[in-house]
Amino acid sequence: MQQTDIHRSRSKKSIGKVPILGGISLFAAATLSIPFIYPTETLWYKVGLDKIMLQAGQFAGLLTLILLVLQVLLALRPQFLERAFAGATLMRWHRANGVLIAASAISHVFLVLAPEGLANLPVGWRYWPEMLGAVTLCSLLITVALSRYRTPLKLNYQRWRTVHRPLGYLIVLLLTFHVLFVSESFAAGLPRIGLLAVIILLFFGAALAWIRRGRKTSPKKTTI
Amino acid sequence: MDSAWPQNVTEENNYLMEESMQYFRLLFLSFALLPLLVPEAWASARTWDVDAVHSNVYFSIDHIYSKVHGRFKQVQTQIAFDPKQLDQSRFAFTIKVDSVDTGEPKRDKHLLSPDFFDSGKFDLITFTSTSITDSGNGVYNVAGTLNVKGETHNLVLPLTFNGIKDHPAAKGKEVIGFNGQVTLDRLALNVGSGKFYKMGLIGKNVDVLVTIEALAGK
Repeated sequence: MQQTDIHRSRSKKSIGKVPILGGISLFAAATLSIPFIYPTETLWYKVGLDKIMLQAGQFAGLLTLILLVLQVLLALRPQFLERAFAGATLMRWHRANGVLIAASAISHVFLVLAPEGLANLPVGWRYWPEMLGAVTLCSLLITVALSRYRTPLKLNYQRWRTVHRPLGYLIVLLLTFHVLFVSESFAAGLPRIGLLAVIILLFFGAALAWIRRGRKTSPKKTTI
Repeated sequence: MDSAWPQNVTEENNYLMEESMQYFRLLFLSFALLPLLVPEAWASARTWDVDAVHSNVYFSIDHIYSKVHGRFKQVQTQIAFDPKQLDQSRFAFTIKVDSVDTGEPKRDKHLLSPDFFDSGKFDLITFTSTSITDSGNGVYNVAGTLNVKGETHNLVLPLTFNGIKDHPAAKGKEVIGFNGQVTLDRLALNVGSGKFYKMGLIGKNVDVLVTIEALAGK
């Protein structure tokens, strides 16, 4: 009996920084290898600098996706992360990561569009996955800008937070649909299933965290 | 002074009258010349209104082993045709390049890029006939100039004249039909640099099918 209690308390302590960072690195490496293991047909028609730019653009796009998934994790602050790193550290990373996401998203757009020619932008209903990407980028930049300049803009914290959270999840959803329908690499097979699994897990985790927070903040029932 | 006044008025009236006549003459001349600005008025052959839904410009091209088919969804066609007045008959096609549709938006976008049509700079393809000759068996050779990517090329489009008959659905209208096929060397037209052809990816010969239905009042 005593032994099991000790075992439980040990397991609650911490997973450890190394396994967490190792897991994140593995996830990132697996995701970033997708354009090379499952190359898109678009690459067939690109040579030289155009090909390098398009590959770099795809790389930047997937980096945005990875950073966004991590961003949600940093915002959710699950117990295993809080135990390994301090809560304040996670929030600091969350803020810095927001800027990184914006930077990688902008570079993705530039690197992907430049080889096609800036006079040949994918505008119109038939390019809806690309247009969805544009909407995602705009939402992302607005979210980052509002978060970064909340104080100079004199935005009320509670109001900002009310908008920030749903907007963040909306961006994840928009980006998922953008990736699933814009990239042939994610048209079928492991990349598609993997991405869907990660996003479902992420939203499941977010729902669990939301329920737990609701329980913590709800007033305790008292019996008279 | 009294005697001079009516005389001055008459002179002024005459001057105004003459000026008005000159103005009306110019106005009449302008109206008389106005139809010359309308392309249909150039030819005295019978003009036809193209049924855009049943008229298309299709194309197909080799991709390694397979064939990729596509079409231009926005083609403006002007036809003045009478088999008995070939010298006054004419065809004019204006194709909106960005209306290209191969059923795959990414391929369409690539076709619009500088790798092929460069639609950002050259948004139209035009073909205007210069002469039409009867080559027998209902085939008419429509010679004209094809303008692609800002360059003009001579082209003969053989059109099979399918006939003229009462339109089965539109009362009081007659329908005319043409089908034509021509093979174009896209590299000669500067549509692509040839790098994909050298790679063995995309062929250089494009089979173009022009199919037309047009209506006119009886």
